[in-house]
Amino acid sequence: MLRYGQALSAQKSIYSLPVALAEREGLFRREGIDFRVVVPVPGGADLMIDALHDDTVDLTHVATPFLVRAALAGSDAVAIAAEFNDPIYSLVARPEIARIADLKGRVVALADPGGSITYSMRKLLALHGVREANVQVKTIDGTPARLNCLRRGGCDAVPLGQPQDLLAQSEGYRLLGRSNDAVPAYLYTVTAARRSWATANAELVVRYVRALAAAFATIRDPAKRGAVVSAIVDITSVPPSVAERVLDLYAEPGRKALPREGEIEVKALAQVIAFMGESGQLASPLPGAERFVDLRYLREVARLKEEDMRKLAR
Amino acid sequence: MKLVLLTLLVLASSPAPALAGANRDSGQDEVGPGPNDGPGYSGVVRDAGGAPVNDARVTATYRDGLAMVTRSNAAGAYNLPGYRKGINPEEVKIACAKPGYRQTRVTRKPAPRGQPVRSVETDCWLQRDR
Repeated sequence: MLRYGQALSAQKSIYSLPVALAEREGLFRREGIDFRVVVPVPGGADLMIDALHDDTVDLTHVATPFLVRAALAGSDAVAIAAEFNDPIYSLVARPEIARIADLKGRVVALADPGGSITYSMRKLLALHGVREANVQVKTIDGTPARLNCLRRGGCDAVPLGQPQDLLAQSEGYRLLGRSNDAVPAYLYTVTAARRSWATANAELVVRYVRALAAAFATIRDPAKRGAVVSAIVDITSVPPSVAERVLDLYAEPGRKALPREGEIEVKALAQVIAFMGESGQLASPLPGAERFVDLRYLREVARLKEEDMRKLAR
Repeated sequence: MKLVLLTLLVLASSPAPALAGANRDSGQDEVGPGPNDGPGYSGVVRDAGGAPVNDARVTATYRDGLAMVTRSNAAGAYNLPGYRKGINPEEVKIACAKPGYRQTRVTRKPAPRGQPVRSVETDCWLQRDR
């Protein structure tokens, strides 16, 4: 059995789509993997690497800043495949607020002060001449909770992920901007494993990565659109029309929310590390991104794919 | 009206493997019941003599699929959030484990009659290996 860790929050978010789809479409079974999602309780993004170390899980979904922090604290956990690249967080406001510049003096919800969402929102506000000191910041973790704050009138603008950003717009709230407008290439969530465990189970890890790569291909396959929409509906509890718009958003030219085959862009991870340095979470000199990844499994999957193609061509 | 329809749609969807509970993008998960949540799972891990067992791993598994894992506290107690509404608690298995012990049985307490079930109480029994 392959035990894959997922935080409760991630389990219900769009960020679980690749793995959820691989499960639903039988892609793990096809690779001969008895796959099980395990949710540690209490859990959370900051505890997922712990779950690798206390043998609760073999692999885990994790946001890159938490992986970097854990590795610098002594963990041998590394990223073995990318799950989500540039996350799209939409700054959504009350209908009467037309521009980001109009947020001065207003209540803006942000997430974890040291997290990617807050970082990207600070950058987005700054692009439009608004500093954090110009707004009243309310820290609210979780897209659903921030949407509630907007709906109840406690917040004037909030960053929302998918699909809640699209849901909010359908309710009349206004999109002011998106995180990608301000933050370049970024590696958001990955599958991580302990280097020692992955080395000892290399063949299984390769099969996992191959199933994950097939999930990304499924997401892009027009013939599978219905199945992908259905997965988004089930994961996030939104109507199919909103799920369709999520897929359309990810397919927009220039957006690189999803990797093509789980590939890890080391430069994008370096961007995460730069952000952690900029926000005071890491001291200079900043570590190189390479030490937090192990690309052997992705390379092996690519080699096997080439081999298969050569066989087919014969 | 739009909101009512949307709420109905959300309530109507009951994906089998999903868990209930609050969501956060970062930091620790908050575990608390929401409107779409089924009952949570709680109980005590005990040894053969009935004494509480601390730090045992307790797993709830739905149909050999999605699993939740926690640890018992000093009183042997554990608490897990519910799966979504519509999940039959009978299909959720509770198991416990601790190095040096083996599980002997689980005992589920009957739900109180005429009251909504907030938590499915199941005690898990361990025996020391010889």
